[in-house]
Parts: sequence; structure tokens; C-alpha cells
Amino acid sequence: MSTTTKSVLSATGVIAAIATVVVGLEARQHADLGLIQAPSSNMSIDRLLASRTDDVNVPAGDYFYNLSQKLKEQYVEPVSDDQKLASGAVRGMIGSLKDPQSLYMDKNQFTAFVNARQGQFEGIGADFDLVTGKSNAQAEAANEDPGPGATAEDTMVMVRDIPRLQVVSVVPGGPADKAKVQVGDIAYSIDGHWIVDSKLIQKFRTAQKAFIAKKMPLSELNIIRNEIRAKADHAMLPLRGRDLLFMGKTGTVTVVWERGGKQITTKITKAPSHLPGFGVHNGAILLPFVPSSAKSLKQEIEGKSAVTLDLRNNTLGDLASMKQCLEVLVPKGNYGDFVTFRHESPTPLVVHNGNSKPPKITLITDKSTRGIAEIFALALSSRGYASLTGESTGGDRDNRSIVKLPDGSGYTLVTSVYKPKLGSTAVARKGGAK
Amino acid sequence: MKKAGKLFSYMGILVICFLFGFCWQDIQKWKAPSSRALGTLFGVKSASAATPEEEFQHAYTQILTDYVKPVDKSDLKYAGMEGLMASLGDPHTMFMRPKLAEAFSDETRANFGGVGARLTSDALGAKIAVVFDDGPAYSAGIRGGNIVTAVDGKSVAGRDIDDIVSMIKGKEGTLVHLTVIQAGKQKPVAITVKRARITAPTVESKYFADSQVGYLSIASFSEPTAAQFDHELAKLEAHPMKGLVIDLRENPGGLLETAVDMLSRFFENKLVVKMKFRDGHEESAKTYPGVLHEFAYPIAALMNEDSASAAEIYAGCLHDYGRAKLVGTHSYGKASVQNVFPLVDRSSAKITIAKYFLPVTPFFGRKVDEYGAYTSGGLEPDLKVELSTGTEVTFGDPKSDNQLQKAIQLVNPQSPAIAAN
Repeated sequence: MSTTTKSVLSATGVIAAIATVVVGLEARQHADLGLIQAPSSNMSIDRLLASRTDDVNVPAGDYFYNLSQKLKEQYVEPVSDDQKLASGAVRGMIGSLKDPQSLYMDKNQFTAFVNARQGQFEGIGADFDLVTGKSNAQAEAANEDPGPGATAEDTMVMVRDIPRLQVVSVVPGGPADKAKVQVGDIAYSIDGHWIVDSKLIQKFRTAQKAFIAKKMPLSELNIIRNEIRAKADHAMLPLRGRDLLFMGKTGTVTVVWERGGKQITTKITKAPSHLPGFGVHNGAILLPFVPSSAKSLKQEIEGKSAVTLDLRNNTLGDLASMKQCLEVLVPKGNYGDFVTFRHESPTPLVVHNGNSKPPKITLITDKSTRGIAEIFALALSSRGYASLTGESTGGDRDNRSIVKLPDGSGYTLVTSVYKPKLGSTAVARKGGAK
Repeated sequence: MKKAGKLFSYMGILVICFLFGFCWQDIQKWKAPSSRALGTLFGVKSASAATPEEEFQHAYTQILTDYVKPVDKSDLKYAGMEGLMASLGDPHTMFMRPKLAEAFSDETRANFGGVGARLTSDALGAKIAVVFDDGPAYSAGIRGGNIVTAVDGKSVAGRDIDDIVSMIKGKEGTLVHLTVIQAGKQKPVAITVKRARITAPTVESKYFADSQVGYLSIASFSEPTAAQFDHELAKLEAHPMKGLVIDLRENPGGLLETAVDMLSRFFENKLVVKMKFRDGHEESAKTYPGVLHEFAYPIAALMNEDSASAAEIYAGCLHDYGRAKLVGTHSYGKASVQNVFPLVDRSSAKITIAKYFLPVTPFFGRKVDEYGAYTSGGLEPDLKVELSTGTEVTFGDPKSDNQLQKAIQLVNPQSPAIAAN
């Protein structure tokens, strides 16, 4: 081999080696995505400039990974619980939906929720909802989860419309029932802690505007200001209030409720309580929507030409179990739609095989008939298979996914809203206004 | 045979070169490459069923595809990042979206493209509260008390003050057209102002002739604050001084360097704070020599629950070295230091990287109860004075500001008593 060839070859070798190192560096950049800028590192000018444009779009998963790593490297205390970071991120995402029906729950909250779905309650023995007094759709801006560490005052500044904590069902014979708590009661304060509500803040804002427009003297504004200050010193958010009433098996809470413009004070000792399961009481079938209900229902209606179903205190039903009950009761067909606001075609609520000889059905409902139970009542009544007696239903027709996370926490996510078949407005109206 | 062997060794060298490049950042840091990076290299997915990353990814995808309403991808991603950072339970460790990150950096630099005025809300638009000397608004004839009713032809009556401010702010050198109501003029006038880089004053001074006490209000500790402090102090010291009140109320803090710089006027080579990092190492900040100033009069520092961070370090050191008495209510209790890490999409991560310890005062970090309400922490005042409620207080006005009244009397007991109203 000539010297020229040799030197050309070795030069090629060196170039190849350098090129390979660069390829390795690039490969790593792609592996890590380089989310974190390192101003001190010797990044090429090009790269830094490129990273200053607005259209950098780092995929969510990579973003999460890189940020977690940065926290673990830098945070003043060791970060050992990775799962907590992931759950925190989920909490943040669910909270950003600002939907009182889509909620993140920590491990204890989620456990209490799942047990309540089986009829096993703790706390004061009642189910709650966050309501704004308006429809669900208008309530969206209401539920701000400001994350840990936020004070009630922060939230008052942040949120224009804070939902109120309302009783939507009461376990018969449970502590709340014994204290004569009623469906529809709104929690005003718990153990002296005022539950933040937007009415007072709106009043202050209106007064402030009036003051600026020189239509109100300062002294009047100060009265409202001082009232807010005094309350804010001992305030809590509606979600925290729910925890205090919904969770725990011991301890006593003093709760002030608002009922029809009046305040009622109750002292309630927490204890486990449970909703009666499937069964016949006074000729009516109590029908919770849990997995075993369809089978029991089938046996119970065998050979009967008319049945009465009691759907009161039924707020946490399970969709699959409810569908099985429909199969047992009514003929096959389409019983309305689950719709979304995503420009998708609706998903029909279908009974596949059904019961070709349906019994005459009477449903007992009231405000504590909500969610899956309300959808059930509307599905039957809109097709003319059932007549409704009692009061109108609660006004919650959301279908929710329930997801458990590896650390035991979990969340609910509204995936669709039920719409009954058209042409039955009279019946539908009776089934609860939304 | 020999040729094949040579080929293999060349290949081997290239593989080593590639791995060298791939692991270069680990070699720099002297640690093993992350398993995630190696996984990407060899195309292996992490074995365990749900890594935290997958848990996050799953929820992210589910919300995007299943939620009853459409969700903005990037909003959802950022909400997730906010939640991730909030999960540590430290209110100072947070994710800042691009817009927030920019506002934050505006604030610490205290300069931005603007007209050089501070605005407050008004029913007709925005009222000019303060016009900065030498700013473009001042040159264009805008004065305090004027009311801006329209910006670039758009009426701003009834709009949020923050919105109006961001409409007026803009790129340096560009023009903004304002409609302004001025005292003594029948009709609103149209004024065009050329935006400029604005250095907002963070120090304001007042001299109270009746008590011969000077008053310096420090709004925050940003880059120009130390120089502004010297400038305003010199203005005060042109008068006879029986005492000085430094007002740190509502001062959220700012740059530690600035606080150290300003403390160096009081004492040389003294410890300001010790910072303890998570790996156990400690760093301390000390005042430096050469800028000592003689304060030949008593000093009081006003603080309240909104005095935080650098303001607490400043007040704490003045107190610990016996240079000032603290007056007012307890401070916030922000005894930690954060670093802001910029991210490629213009957002940033603010992370608590160390805890602060003052020279004498024990650790003063804020503690809250389960409802987020204050329980302990912050600096305790030497003279506790609650702000009077029921009357409108203007900070820095000795007639209505009862905390200031007490501070004046503390530094100059001979000062004529002011009838509290």
C-alpha cells in the first residue's frame, strides 16, 4: 500500500470515528430530549437559538420524565416516591378540567368513595355533590382544585364561582339521618370553619365597583371587607369539607346547614353505616346498581305482571350493572344516547336481548335519584315502559369513568352525558330538570 | 482471515466511539447512564407494568380521548406539570407556563418595554398612579391622576387592570396610542408614547419634616434596587435625620445578591445567610467590604405577613446584628431558596434547592395547618403593631398609617405625636 493510500485511509478512519461519536451524542439527545436547557453547557449556538422558538413541542411523556428527573436532582429534600409525582400530575390534569363531577381523590378519599359505591359509608353517612345552583354545564368553572398548600383565601381570589357542598343522599338510619339532615341541605360551616362560597365574594366585588364609581361610602365597603376577613381566617374549601363529612369512622362534627334560607346546627358523631342492599320493602324492590342486582331482580320479577322499583338514595350506581338490569326488565332496542361535546356521533344505550314480556313498572324517585339511577329512570320512562311516582330526580345524568391508580388514589372522569329518546318531553321533564 | 479480523477491530472501535458519544454526558457527571436512555437505545420498554411515566401518559391520553368535552393538548400537559411539581407540597416549587415564566423574569429584572408609569384600576379605564421620572410617559406629558380610557383605539373602560397593562406594554421602540383624561381639560386627549426599556423604581423616599425622620419604602429587591436605595438615601440625608424607617411591608423579596449588596452598607464581612442544600453541603452569603455607610440614627424596619424571602433576610440581618428594630406583624416565613430552570418551550421550573438560616434567628420557615392557614414561622417583630382596620390606610402616610406612626415614634421618641384618626 502506498503512503498516500495509507494516510487517506487513516484520515477516513479518524473522520468515521468522530462522526460516530457525534452520532452517539445525537442519539442520546433524542433519548433524553434535552428538555432542560443548560445555559452554561457548551451547546452550539444553533441549538440554543432553535430552542428559543415558540413551536418547540415536547411530548407529554418526555416532559413528565425530564421534569421528574430534574426535581429528583435538585429538590432540597430527597424525592423518593415516584408514584406521588405521577399522581400529582394526574391530579393537576383532572383539576384543570374544572368539572365538579371529574375529581381526583387521594388514597383515603378514593377508598371511601369505592366503599360507598358498594353501599358501605363512613363519616356522617351521606353522599355529597358540589353544586353551583345552576346546571352542570354552567358549573364548569366552579371546581378549582388549587393543589396542596393553597389557602382558602388564594382560592377566593382565583375562583369566581365556587361550588357549594350539598347533601344528595342520606343513608337511612345512619348518623346524618338520626340528626335529621335532609337531601338538599347545604353545608355552611364545619366545626366553626366557614366553607368558602362565592356569594360573599361576589357581594364584595359588586360593592367594590360601587365604591370605585363613588356610589358607596368606604365605611360600607369596609363592613363587607371585615366580614370576609373574619371568615377567611377560619375558612375551608368545599372539597375539604366533603372529606370531613364523608370520611372517618370516629369523632364528632358540628355542622351548620343551610335549608330554605335558614341555618340549622347539628352535632353528628361519625360511624360506619350502610345502605340496604337489594331487597323488597313495603312491596317495592330496592334496586342498587351493583353487579349482583340483575340476577336478584330476575328472580324477583319472575311471573309478575307489575313491579315497583325504589330508586331513592341511589347516587353512586354502576353503569354495567344498570345495563344488566335493563336487559332483565325491558325488550331489546335503543333507550336513548350518551352524547359528548366532542363532535362525535352519540353512543346509544342499547338493550341487546331484553325481556320480550316486560312487566308494568312503577319507579319511586326523588332528588336522591342521581347519576346512573337517574339515567335508568329516564331510559325506562322515555320509552313508556315505566311510570314515575315521587319527586323529580336529582339532575345528574353524567356517565363517569372511574380509574384507580397504582398508589391507591384514583379519579372520576365524565365521559358522556345521557340524553333520553325524543318525543317524550312530558315524561322527561318529570324526570328531573338539569 | 487477517482482513476479517482487522474489519472487526475497526467495527469495534466505531462501536466504542458511538457509546462514548452516547454516554458523554454521563462521563462528564461521572455516573451510570439512565436506564431509560439505554432502553431507548436498545429499543426496550421498561419492564414493570406501570412506571410513573406510563401512569401519567395513560391518564393524559384518557382525558384527551374520553373526556366529555374537547381538551387542549398543551393546556392539559402544562396542568399535569403543575400538578407534578405541586405534589411535593412546597408552595414555592412550581411549574411556570411560558407566559407566567416571562412575567416572572420581567419582574426580577424590573425592566420591560413600557411607557414608565404605574396604573391602578378606575371605573373609566386605568388611573395613572405614579409616573416614573425621565420615562416616555412623563416626556409625553402624562401625569399622576390622569386616566387612560383607550389604548390603540380600543376602549378599556371596565377592563381588568392586568389586561390594560399588558395592552400598554410591548416591544421597545414601538408606539402606543393612548386616550387620556387630564385635569383641567374638557375633552380626553390623544397621546402617542414610544415604548422604551423601563427600569421601575423599587425604592421611594419621603422626608417627614415634623419628626425629622426619613422614610424609605422598598417594593422589591431587584437588580437596580441597591443603586436606587443609595440615591434615595442621599436625598434624605440632605435633611437633618433623627431616624429612618425602612418599609418592607408587601415586599415579596427578589434577588438575594441585592439584599447582600444592600446589607453591605450596614456591616462588612458578616454572615447574611447560610444555605443548606439537599446533599448536605452548605453555602453562605457574606456582606463585602468597601461600601459601608454610616447610619448615625436609629432605624426601624416595617414588615407584615406579605414581607417575604429577600425582604425577610434583609430585615432579619438588620435585627440579628442589632441595627434595626422590627415593627409591624410577623413576616411570611419564606426560608428557602429557589432556582429557576428554563425549559426549551419557554416555560420554566422553579425548584426549592436549599433552606435559609439567619445568623441568630432560628429557622423561620412558615408552617400551615391542614387548611393552609398560618400557624407559625416568619420573623417576629420587636414591636407588634396590627394595621388599623375600619379606616382606609395609605402606606407611607403618617396620618393614616398607624404602623408607620409607631415606627416613627420608636426611632425618634421626641417626634410630635400624631392624633390617630
